[in-house]
Amino acid sequence: MKTGSGTLWTLAGAAAGALMMGAVTAHANPYEKYEGTTLVVSWPALAHFTAAETLLEEFTEETGIDVEVDALQYLKLRDRQLLEMSKDEGEYDIVSWVVMWKGEYVSKGLLTPLSQFFTSGSLVDPQFDIDDVADAYLQNGGVVGGKKGYMPGKSGALYGLPFGAETSILAYRKDIFEEQGLAAPTTYDELIDVMSKLHAAGIPALTSRGKTGHQVTAGWLLHLAPMGGKIFDDAWNPVINSPEAVKAAEFMRHTVKTGPKGIETFGFGEASAAFLQGDAALYLDTLKIAAMSRNPKLSKVDGKVGYALHPTDVRCGSETGGFAMGIPANSQNKDAAFLLIQYLTNKAGDQRMVELGGDPVRISTLMNNADLFEDYPVVAEQLPCADPDWRPLIPEWNELNIDVLGQALTQVITTDDPIQPIMDAANEKARAIMEREGYYRWASYREGN
Amino acid sequence: MSPFRHKSNVFGHYATLIVLALITLIPIWVMVSTGFKNDVLVQQKEPVWFLFVPTIENYEYIMNRGKFDRYLWNSIIVGVGSTVFTLVFGGFCAYALARTEFRGRVLVANSTLLVRMVPPAVLAVPAFAMVVNFGLDNDRAVLIFFYTALNLPFAIWLLFGFYKQIPVELEEAAIVDGASPMQVFVRVLLPLMTSGYAVAGIFTFRISWNEFILALLLTSRKTRTLPVGAAGFITDTGVEWGRIMAMGTLIVIPPLLFTFFAARQIIAGMTAGAVKG
Amino acid sequence: MQRLGPYFFILPAVAIMATGLLYPVIQAFYLSFFDWKIGTDLEDAPWVGFRHFIRMATDADVLESITVTLRFGFWTITIEMLLGVALALLLEKPIRGASLFRTVFILPLMISPVVVGLIWRYLFDARIGWINYYLGYLGIEPQVWLGDADLAFFAIVFTDIWQWTPFIFIIVIAGLQALPSEVLEASKIDGANWWQHILFVKLPMIRSILVIALLLRLIDVFRALEVMYILTGGGPGRATELLSLHIYNRAFDTQQLGYASAISVLLILIVFSLSFAILVIGNPMKDKADV
Repeated sequence: MKTGSGTLWTLAGAAAGALMMGAVTAHANPYEKYEGTTLVVSWPALAHFTAAETLLEEFTEETGIDVEVDALQYLKLRDRQLLEMSKDEGEYDIVSWVVMWKGEYVSKGLLTPLSQFFTSGSLVDPQFDIDDVADAYLQNGGVVGGKKGYMPGKSGALYGLPFGAETSILAYRKDIFEEQGLAAPTTYDELIDVMSKLHAAGIPALTSRGKTGHQVTAGWLLHLAPMGGKIFDDAWNPVINSPEAVKAAEFMRHTVKTGPKGIETFGFGEASAAFLQGDAALYLDTLKIAAMSRNPKLSKVDGKVGYALHPTDVRCGSETGGFAMGIPANSQNKDAAFLLIQYLTNKAGDQRMVELGGDPVRISTLMNNADLFEDYPVVAEQLPCADPDWRPLIPEWNELNIDVLGQALTQVITTDDPIQPIMDAANEKARAIMEREGYYRWASYREGN
Repeated sequence: MSPFRHKSNVFGHYATLIVLALITLIPIWVMVSTGFKNDVLVQQKEPVWFLFVPTIENYEYIMNRGKFDRYLWNSIIVGVGSTVFTLVFGGFCAYALARTEFRGRVLVANSTLLVRMVPPAVLAVPAFAMVVNFGLDNDRAVLIFFYTALNLPFAIWLLFGFYKQIPVELEEAAIVDGASPMQVFVRVLLPLMTSGYAVAGIFTFRISWNEFILALLLTSRKTRTLPVGAAGFITDTGVEWGRIMAMGTLIVIPPLLFTFFAARQIIAGMTAGAVKG
Repeated sequence: MQRLGPYFFILPAVAIMATGLLYPVIQAFYLSFFDWKIGTDLEDAPWVGFRHFIRMATDADVLESITVTLRFGFWTITIEMLLGVALALLLEKPIRGASLFRTVFILPLMISPVVVGLIWRYLFDARIGWINYYLGYLGIEPQVWLGDADLAFFAIVFTDIWQWTPFIFIIVIAGLQALPSEVLEASKIDGANWWQHILFVKLPMIRSILVIALLLRLIDVFRALEVMYILTGGGPGRATELLSLHIYNRAFDTQQLGYASAISVLLILIVFSLSFAILVIGNPMKDKADV
């Protein structure tokens, strides 16, 4: 049956291809060679990607290359992708990863370096202009092997292009703020004050992710960077019990106490829904909230949302996250896959994503649409603050993220236990993991000499 | 009638039963009705029990864009496939255990019972490893295989009981008439075993149809079964309650039909484990 | 039948069970000595000896998960047994329409655990859940059922009771109705009152049914994960992470396949010893003729 439906798709593709032939035979066409191919794309079930499905249809119409999407909940993507990519012949031709998995994918040898395609004159569109892609996005999602393995650096190489990449901004309900006589906070002190005032007025203040595991950690990380905290020092010693880290945890507790009900169970979807359904006055997370708030299917607050920079504490530091996409090493249609990635991220594709309700990755797109969308100028101003070391994108991050921090922070937000001991215990666990994975071998080797 | 001081109270009896039935049915009704509600009603805090204009938009969505046909087809293949294998091989095995003496019989009987209890979570990692290392890429066959293995012990156990109830004399008469063991099995025993196989079949199919964890791990885009497809509606923008409940309603239909048409057999199967005979 | 006949009949089933159930169990033992990660070849996985087992012995998370499982087992089984037996005794007398009610009662057992999890996740939802809404009538503030350790634990216990009490009810009623009437009559003639009749005559007679039901449920507690996977995912923290779910989360959320295998070994040992108890009490396939 598997081959049966495969054949069917190929046939359908060929038919579509044949139709296209008539129109394009006059010119040499970079897509021509791949007509009738079917590409399988693995990406998340997020609004940006749902919007992109229309763009995929346009791609098929224009090029005769068929695309089938396998959309999954984003935290379920990794297992599936790893499994497919470790087969001899995987199903996926394009995978879209959360930036935190890039190190793992590359260290396991599962991705194709994009230099392989950027050296091919017949594939690369000379007008692609990679320098226009926001550097924070490109470095964070696509470049692997630089400083510390995940930050920009001379040893890095490009494995993916950002698509659905993000940083964090503050979104707030203009109507509520006006009614309460509040101004958009620029610092954390102001933010804390605003949250308390809203809460006192009976209005749930800031929504946040808080579900055990990845989600609660993501919520906390958003505050760690501006408060000056880090996960590791420069020698890979965990510092998640630092005063800054504890302060960020305290802020999480404050958020739960003054925010909408149920933060302890909120994943990304629920946290956003609380704001979009009007159950929270503040949102401090991905810029994706802006496009979502304009989507009538998701939002009841369109037109009432204002945007501001991510508040600062001791420094400005916003999230680097979201997705990038690349090509598995075992894909059977690498060239065609590259053509699709290029199509989605070139200037026209990026502009089209904006029109479809997605988020751009190019500076030029942000600038060209700045008058249209209130959030774009804010994002453009925010991007230089996006912290490339926002979280360590190392293979071990997964375990630290879910098993160590995800558990400790749940204790922080669901109990009234003193925070310092919780974070001390988490720090010890983190150290044990790093020890186990051999991060201190160089240090002890040097000491030995 | 009752010689006891305790007065049996028919009204109380029915009242209790009705309350219990409501407790059982209300959550199921919540699912069915939610599947017919639009997003506004679903997200509304005030529950709506009956008085709403039903919509089929959720069903339209899962039929058209939710790849329901694909999931359904996979579920049917996997469910029917594993049921057939389980009944055929389990039936043979139960027959031999019930009717013949051979070296290792007790060992087989006891270990069958032991492996029945293997937790699916224990199977998860090794099954995953087997698929990756042996490069098995026919997901549906893999799933049918594991479901057959999971179902065999209970099916053997059930069918054993049914075989034991058939008088040996019937077979002996056939053997005297010169029938081979296979002929005895097919001509004499199978007709008497219809209800036994029906019970075992219902249980096997139900477990294969409902199973989630192994299916989640072992299937890919083209081979996902219905429960895995349903869980896919827990998306990154929240749970799509209307759609997921519509899908849930559709998943529940076959077990529901079984329950109403074969309740007696199902209860027989359930009690066979604990109540002998 | 010829001497090889029986083997021919049992071979396919035994072969499938051996490769589909026994081999994976052995494989779990084997994997627990390696540090294997998804996406890498198993042959390249480093051998770690007993390191996973040593880690497990001192792992507070594993201990917590076992504690949660036992607490869950204690509450669900106690309540289900009491409720199921009480209802069975109360409703034992055959009445018109009993079979229709029984049909209704087995519904929760027939529907997919995924669906059960979904239904209750909706009902327990903090924002749009029906439970919060109706508790509001009683003057109870909306609760974050699935986000508080105790409430979430209550939610999974409650769901389990909803799903499994009918099972106890039905097998106990079947057992009661199969009791020989002469003995019951005799006890009535002896003048035992209703309570004495139940406590000293009926319950002892269905003792083995009760014990087997209890053991089956206990084993199920160690096998359960699908409902919690959907309902809470094991959270908040590890408050509802039963041992099976813990293994799954360790293996596929945090990718510690080797370590998860080591915990699997522990789970297998627990489950097999419980199963062994059932075997001793009475394997229905072991009849007088062959021991």
